Amino acid sequence: MTVLEKIQATLADILDVEAKNIGTETYLFRDLDVESIDLLELAVSLSSEFNIDVNDDEVFLKTLRVYLSEPGDHVTDTRAYLMEKYPYLTASRVDEILADQEGGPVLKVKDIADYVTWRSDAA
Amino acid sequence: MRRRVVVTSMGVVSSLGATPEEIGERLSVGAPRFVFTGEEGLWAAPVEGFDLKAYTGRFKAGRYLNRGAQFAVASAAAAMEASGLSEKQRADTGLFCGSGPNFDVGEEFARIDGGEISEEGLSALWMLRFLPNTAASAISRLTGIHGENHTCGSACAASLTALGEAYRKVRDGYLDTALAGGGDSRINRGGLLAYGMARALHRSEEDPSAVYAPFDANRKGFLPGEGGAFFLFEELEHARRRGAEIHAEVLGFGSSLDGYNMTAPDPSGTWAEKAVRLALDEAFLLPEEVDAVSAHGTATELNDRMEAELFGRLFGAHRPAILAPKAWLGHLASACGAVELAVMLAALKHGTLPTNPNLANPLDPALDIVVDGRSAEGISTLLFENFGFGGQNSALVVRRW
Repeated sequence: MTVLEKIQATLADILDVEAKNIGTETYLFRDLDVESIDLLELAVSLSSEFNIDVNDDEVFLKTLRVYLSEPGDHVTDTRAYLMEKYPYLTASRVDEILADQEGGPVLKVKDIADYVTWRSDAA
Repeated sequence: MRRRVVVTSMGVVSSLGATPEEIGERLSVGAPRFVFTGEEGLWAAPVEGFDLKAYTGRFKAGRYLNRGAQFAVASAAAAMEASGLSEKQRADTGLFCGSGPNFDVGEEFARIDGGEISEEGLSALWMLRFLPNTAASAISRLTGIHGENHTCGSACAASLTALGEAYRKVRDGYLDTALAGGGDSRINRGGLLAYGMARALHRSEEDPSAVYAPFDANRKGFLPGEGGAFFLFEELEHARRRGAEIHAEVLGFGSSLDGYNMTAPDPSGTWAEKAVRLALDEAFLLPEEVDAVSAHGTATELNDRMEAELFGRLFGAHRPAILAPKAWLGHLASACGAVELAVMLAALKHGTLPTNPNLANPLDPALDIVVDGRSAEGISTLLFENFGFGGQNSALVVRRW
């Protein structure tokens, strides 16, 4: 199974939905209605499934809104700032995120997959 | 005037069936059937082919329910589905749930080495599978119940206690509607080990289906069962106003503690009798007005002797029909009271009393223990008894509507 397939299966199990309804572009909050306890389960599953340390803030972009609304005086380039905070996100994904601020949390399945790949490479 | 409390809806998941029709039919034409558990000498009455999702639909919280809690949630969902309550009425409904411990430790934890529990295979919130109120939480989420509630943990008296608590909350005006019942399963290696070591189980190499008989002189312990049942208890006028179908009336409840032994009942039955008399007093009934007793009748040496003697003292020359639902269901632990009420209501509806078909040598020949098929005609007032480990005694009086 690929990283993505494993994540699909894990999410399907946690959320009691069919894996085929979960794609790379699926939003966790907007499309799958995840709740905090679902993310808790996902973090534990990712950690054991891929044998990585999972930082909940990083993988679920939990602090993203704070970084955007209160970046601090030293931040002049929001894009660069986000890339520093979330080193696993590509520049194009950060641009996408910055353009996608209406309609709820931006977290997508592909972000989780990118995080896992990044952590696995680092390990 | 005292408020009257009636039963207006029922949901049940049992080894005898999942509707009153199935259960009534099974009791009247079938025979008790127990199956091998896989553990040497141990047999049980499992609910075969049970699928929680058939009751809940997509339900992600299902992963947090141990098997007993699954039975609770499934039967509660069925009872609420059948209730016809509006969203507002559901929100105002109370919830009283009998709940037992999850003994399935061997399956819950992939590995325990020297006291160290491995996180392998555990969900982040695995604790929910052990918390007693998880079923209540899931039922609330699923059915929209938000009212006054309580999870009762009084061992094998728990779901009868829950029914009694719900009855009183409605009678006393705290609630107009309350969902009450329970679900449990001890048919797992941990449960079998626990009751096996306590010497409470019927052990035999042979299939006990044609042998197991509560109140028999040769009884040798209980056979475990599993399942769940929930009922909507409702104030009579509230039920009439909305045109609800009425199945039965709840008349009285009583409970007590032996203060005698951590597992065995007080052999004198003093406090068990107290619970029963309290229930009858609350129902404004004399013992001779009881038509039938749904006995606790576990087929353990100590319970059945205590209970048979209690009948002798309580009823004297009056001989109500003594019914032993565990002859069919086995012992459902904390859920027994609720499922036994479901079975009795199903039997009354079907018109035939449940038998104790394997009874060969009655412990007390003076008792009218129903052995052969007998019409339920003329049976109106039933006394339910459940006596749990730790000397937990409970009794409920119910009248057919």
